[in-house]
Amino acid sequence: MVNETPNGATSDAARWAALIEAVATRRDREAFATLFEHFAPRIKTFMRRSGASEQSADEFAQEALLAVWSKAGLFDPASVGATAWIFTIARNLRIDVLRREKRAGRDYTVEIDPEFHVDEGPLPDAGLAVSQVESRVRNALTHLSEDQQRVIELSFFDEKAHAEIAQTLQIPLGTVKSRLRLAMNRLRGLLGDLS
Amino acid sequence: MTIHHHPPEELLTAFAAGLLDLGQHVAIATHLVGCARCRDAVRAMEHVGGAVLAGLLPTAMSGGALASVEAGLDRLVAATTSPPRRAAGLADVPGLPQFVREYPAGPWRWIAPKVHLRPIQLPEASSTRVFLLKSRSGTKMIEHTHTGFEMSCVLSGSFVHAGGHFGPGDFDLGEGDDDHEIMIDSQDDCICLIAMQGDLKLNGMIGRLLQPLIRM
Ligand SMILES: [Zn+2]
Repeated sequence: MVNETPNGATSDAARWAALIEAVATRRDREAFATLFEHFAPRIKTFMRRSGASEQSADEFAQEALLAVWSKAGLFDPASVGATAWIFTIARNLRIDVLRREKRAGRDYTVEIDPEFHVDEGPLPDAGLAVSQVESRVRNALTHLSEDQQRVIELSFFDEKAHAEIAQTLQIPLGTVKSRLRLAMNRLRGLLGDLS
Repeated sequence: MTIHHHPPEELLTAFAAGLLDLGQHVAIATHLVGCARCRDAVRAMEHVGGAVLAGLLPTAMSGGALASVEAGLDRLVAATTSPPRRAAGLADVPGLPQFVREYPAGPWRWIAPKVHLRPIQLPEASSTRVFLLKSRSGTKMIEHTHTGFEMSCVLSGSFVHAGGHFGPGDFDLGEGDDDHEIMIDSQDDCICLIAMQGDLKLNGMIGRLLQPLIRM
């Protein structure tokens, strides 16, 4: 999952952020194409694993990259890392797609983004810089075994995907779940107290 | 405000992953309003999500996908932060996330002595119902076996049960068959946002509230 050296990964994160900002400020098509080439095929995998057909997953990946283009101006590198930001676009699109299925025929839409907007409450956030959160997460992930990294991926997909993984690995679903729990505990231990 | 009771990490992860249904999502989002620690945990999990996404094996896009997206770019209008929607009935309830305050809510309804309920109408179907529950000081309720889960976020006031003392910002997850007594121990009303799975039939919070009535 994370196979770059820590430094390589840091410059990667900065590079993605610079590309998104180029799209935001200059409507830079070359920067957009670079983002597309890297992220569209991965968002397609994300949507496939979430149950979308080959054709739908392709269309959703295109839709996600269109959202990257139109929302680039809202990207704030001080509050979120570039890959995390693109992840939130894919995640919110997936929620939207599921709801579209449920309300088939009814033509009202609710924007997902505000549902994830968390107003700062009376207590301020810990104030860790995004780059610190990013590097802590990256470090934690590099300390996990390949297997554990695989299984962490499952946290981002529903039960159906877990069952499929169990089938491909030819291990019982219960084993997948217990491995996921162990890997998450290890990850949390490595992330430590973020505050 | 010191928060002593947080949602389990699995729920925060599922929130960050976007895998909760809307009712559960509302309960976690309500906790996040007051809890910096859980906000940080969610933010960290979103970064894990970013790393996971970036590390997925690519699936080749269809031929011409980039070209057809590029052709559509000019027609796209840059997104701006959406203007606040019409504030509905919950504008005055402190401690709720902004998006929840915009949901329509019914009036307070009497459901048991000293206890009132105010339903919150979610814009999308959810298997979880969300409502506010207001209980007067000194109210005692018997919690009994119920199916499904029940998430409570304390907005004001406090209650106590065998699992501890719960004040503003605290999150209580009721699951399975705990059988214990809840007591509202604040001077003022205790108002909670509750997300409850399943029917508003004779189980969960409502069952527990109606039980004393049924006994009479
Ligand atoms: Zn918390």
